[in-house]
Amino acid sequence: MDKEYSIIKTEGLEKLYGKGAVKTHALKGVDIEIPTGAFTCITGPSGHGKSTLLNLIGGLDKPTAGKVFIGGVDITGLSNGKLAAIRASKIGFVFQFFNLLQNLTALENIQTAMMLNPAIKLTSKAQKEKAAELLELVGLLNKADAKPYELSGGQQQRVSIARALANNPDILLMDEPTGNLDTESEKEVLEHIFAVHKTGKTVIIVTHNDSLAKKAELLLEIRDGRCLNYTP
Amino acid sequence: MNILKLVARNLFRKKGRFVFTLLGISIGMASFVALLSMGENMQSVVKAQAESLGASFMIMPENICIYNQMAIVTGETISESMEYKVFEDLTAVNDVTIIPHLTQKTSIKDKPSVVAGILPRETYAFKVWEMNEGVFFESDDQNAVVVGIDFAETRNLRVGETVTVKGEQLPVIGILAKTQGNDDMTMFAPLTVVQRLFNKDGYISYMSARVKDMSKIEAYEDAILKIANVQVATNDKLLESVLSIIGSVNSTLRLIAGVALIAAAFGIINTMMTAVYERRREIGILCALGGRAGTIFKVFLIESGVYGLLGGCVGVVAGYVVSVFAAPIINREGLDMLKGVSAEASIDIKLVLTAVIVSFVISILSGLYPALKASKLTPVEAVSYG
Ligand SMILES: Nc1ncnc2c1ncn2[C@@H]1O[C@H](COP(=O)(O)OP(=O)(O)O)[C@@H](O)[C@H]1O
Ligand SMILES: [Mg+2]
Repeated sequence: MDKEYSIIKTEGLEKLYGKGAVKTHALKGVDIEIPTGAFTCITGPSGHGKSTLLNLIGGLDKPTAGKVFIGGVDITGLSNGKLAAIRASKIGFVFQFFNLLQNLTALENIQTAMMLNPAIKLTSKAQKEKAAELLELVGLLNKADAKPYELSGGQQQRVSIARALANNPDILLMDEPTGNLDTESEKEVLEHIFAVHKTGKTVIIVTHNDSLAKKAELLLEIRDGRCLNYTP
Repeated sequence: MNILKLVARNLFRKKGRFVFTLLGISIGMASFVALLSMGENMQSVVKAQAESLGASFMIMPENICIYNQMAIVTGETISESMEYKVFEDLTAVNDVTIIPHLTQKTSIKDKPSVVAGILPRETYAFKVWEMNEGVFFESDDQNAVVVGIDFAETRNLRVGETVTVKGEQLPVIGILAKTQGNDDMTMFAPLTVVQRLFNKDGYISYMSARVKDMSKIEAYEDAILKIANVQVATNDKLLESVLSIIGSVNSTLRLIAGVALIAAAFGIINTMMTAVYERRREIGILCALGGRAGTIFKVFLIESGVYGLLGGCVGVVAGYVVSVFAAPIINREGLDMLKGVSAEASIDIKLVLTAVIVSFVISILSGLYPALKASKLTPVEAVSYG
């Protein structure tokens, strides 16, 4: 695979958790390349390093060894501030749990993501307009002023997706985004994820859903801290 | 959405905790303001009273202690006495006008009162008094009283009424015009009358003296000391020693206020630490969304700073209310030194600003550690697990 087309690349990525006696070797050398725009699924048993890999790719944590490239740029040695700027402008996260700020409305959650992006300063009005557009995209414009506890799990994840899109990032990292949902809600959320992917974003999803994994353009299997299957 | 709005939402999410933390800092600041402003007022009241004594110096019993000196300045009775004969001896000193006082405690209309025995004619001239109502004494042994204007007002006394002193009925024949000093809160009777009523025949409490030429005051003092075994103190010296007592009272008050503030500071630290712990997941989300450590630090620091600003403002208002209403209560409990404080409690802009700034600084300092803790949280753990 040509480097030009790899929006994400890792080299010998290792992660060792813990200091002192109890250490966990969560990643033991992972080399992957993800082409721009690929719909990527990461599967594998629990506790084998999927989330760790996703967090390292997203610059939310730093590797013990190895490198991460985003759009050809090595982010491994960057300062915390620069990493934060990359998270803000280039990457959208969706997690399994506790995605939304509980004391803010759906609209304000999305606005907060815009506020935290140092690259673009929007007026409050522009923030609101854009956030409303994104809520409309996930079919929740009528819930703009709802607090997270007033939303179902599926609706909360759709707001999370809208918020991940707030700064128009190239990459969406989703860690079991439907892991906590019933099949009905899962279907709905996945539809929105597919729709987002169609707009040209690179989507990486950690999932245990086999039928979703089958639809992946790139499927990675993480087992015991290594990337086993690597099927483009 | 901006950081201030985010802070506002965070502040009000737990309304009970917000209110109680705010109460903590407000009460701390209120005691700070109340104690400081009462202390300041005490000083200014004493200064005003000392000025209104209208004498160049005081002649007191030889072994008088500082508390009794203070009593003279504040218009209280003193326990020491000296002989009237000393006064007669001292009239021999030229160019010095001296008047004697015999102050005694009594109760008029159920209120503790000071009755001062004076030489009517001499004192009237010495003090440059004027009458508000009624007349002054006509003779040196007239069985009657003349009262200060505040004395009359607080006891609802009218000219023509009678008061009972030591079982004897005395008519109120006059009310003095305002003097701005202790005399306003005193009841006067001829010296001989007070001596008789209180069994103090031949005794006085202290004397006031005025000289024509202040520059020669030391010479007069020497002349007096040659004649009699007394203690002489200029008003300035008296004031100085009284103020030094108030000063030490003031530093005690400041200490108490300081302790209240420290307690309030720990209240803020406690609230903010709890908030950091409770919101560690949200801090993780903010990080994932691109929030920098500095931004998260700011969010928490501003939050605790708001406690300081609001608490400072509420505290200043509460403190002044307390100092205005508490002073009379303290008065009633017998601390007559604070007499007049309530009337003079004025809003001191410098104290207000100091209080608000102190409150803000304390809350910022209290917020530093929790904010630092928040900004150092690793986001990964927070967002990954249910
Ligand atoms: N912050 C952490 N501190 C210590 N150990 C961790 C931490 N995060 C994950 N681990 C450990 O690393 C291993 C991989 O975890 P994770 O990446 O979350 O797995 P997965 O997402 O595949 O379930 C597990 O053994 C887990 O206990
Ligand atoms: Mg995981």
